[in-house]
Amino acid sequence: MADRAEDDADLVRRARAGDAGAWDALVERLGSRVWAVARAQGLNRADADDVFQITWMRLVTHLDAIREPERVSAWLAATARHESFRVLRRNGRQIPSGDDEDFEGTVLLEQPLDARILADERQKAVWDAVATLPPHCQRLMRLLMADPPFTYEQITELLDMRPGSIGPTRARCLEKLRRRLGAMDDKHERTTS
Amino acid sequence: MSGTGDSGFDELGLDDALHADLQLAGRLDEVPAESVAAAKASFAWRTMDAELAELAADSAEEGKLLAGVRGPGAVRMLTFESPTLTVEVEVLEDGSRRRLVGQLVPPQAGRVEVRHSRGTVTVAADDLGRFSVDDLAAGPLSLHCSGIAGGKEIATDWVPV
Repeated sequence: MADRAEDDADLVRRARAGDAGAWDALVERLGSRVWAVARAQGLNRADADDVFQITWMRLVTHLDAIREPERVSAWLAATARHESFRVLRRNGRQIPSGDDEDFEGTVLLEQPLDARILADERQKAVWDAVATLPPHCQRLMRLLMADPPFTYEQITELLDMRPGSIGPTRARCLEKLRRRLGAMDDKHERTTS
Repeated sequence: MSGTGDSGFDELGLDDALHADLQLAGRLDEVPAESVAAAKASFAWRTMDAELAELAADSAEEGKLLAGVRGPGAVRMLTFESPTLTVEVEVLEDGSRRRLVGQLVPPQAGRVEVRHSRGTVTVAADDLGRFSVDDLAAGPLSLHCSGIAGGKEIATDWVPV
């Protein structure tokens, strides 16, 4: 983790010095996280694209002002979250809280058709099972899909959860997911000891 | 419910397999390739010397679209402020196209470059600081003002319109 942060910081410093290759590498490396944050806030892909662009453009604008280059990943995630809220407000939608199990906002989980066609059965089964979960679980699951993964502390912040609630919430949501998957796919027998 | 569900996130085994499944499923919702390309291209807009004008007011966020809710004729007001210049912009929405009518404050002539994910459009602000841009694609944009009093360049925050 520390090495990753140091590599991130190195890319930021090189981009500051005008190295476009370092910038490209940052986008490649951290782009899927930015995307995951926007999608986990319940934005459709078109709105998530706006947030994605704005987040990177803001980083271009603020590149010299980032005080802790090793925390650029957290800066990007926080910016994407902030910009996602802006889009939600603009669209007149409710801003979800991570602990709200009664939250009824629409969430996720449309997916690009071309990806769907190429997907294998397991991928589709998992995705479809996630899509049947309550909204607060879908949001959490979408962040757990990020690669590289977010830390629990980051997820707590990104979803506005109470400190300490992520463990139990995550366990309950995963348990639901496991049951839906079990119901969908009997061949995949999972034993709990 | 079995005991495994409540054992917290130190639990390995089952949860690890599920996490792997989730990460695999996440690949069904990857960042569009053109979005990645646009984000990379935005590096070309890096300007070290421009003064930043932050978004100070957005009528859409306050829930006040001036003429009706969205659709043709809806008007959104944006105000960007920097220590030397304020930029006020009316955004007129028509489907996926946008028209901008702007005002530099204090009023003065200058050059306004509209930067957005599909490229740039440059227009002149007249002596009263007025400018307009027609037929812009919806999406994030920033205004880059130059040729103004004091010789500074001003770049506004990025905002989706």
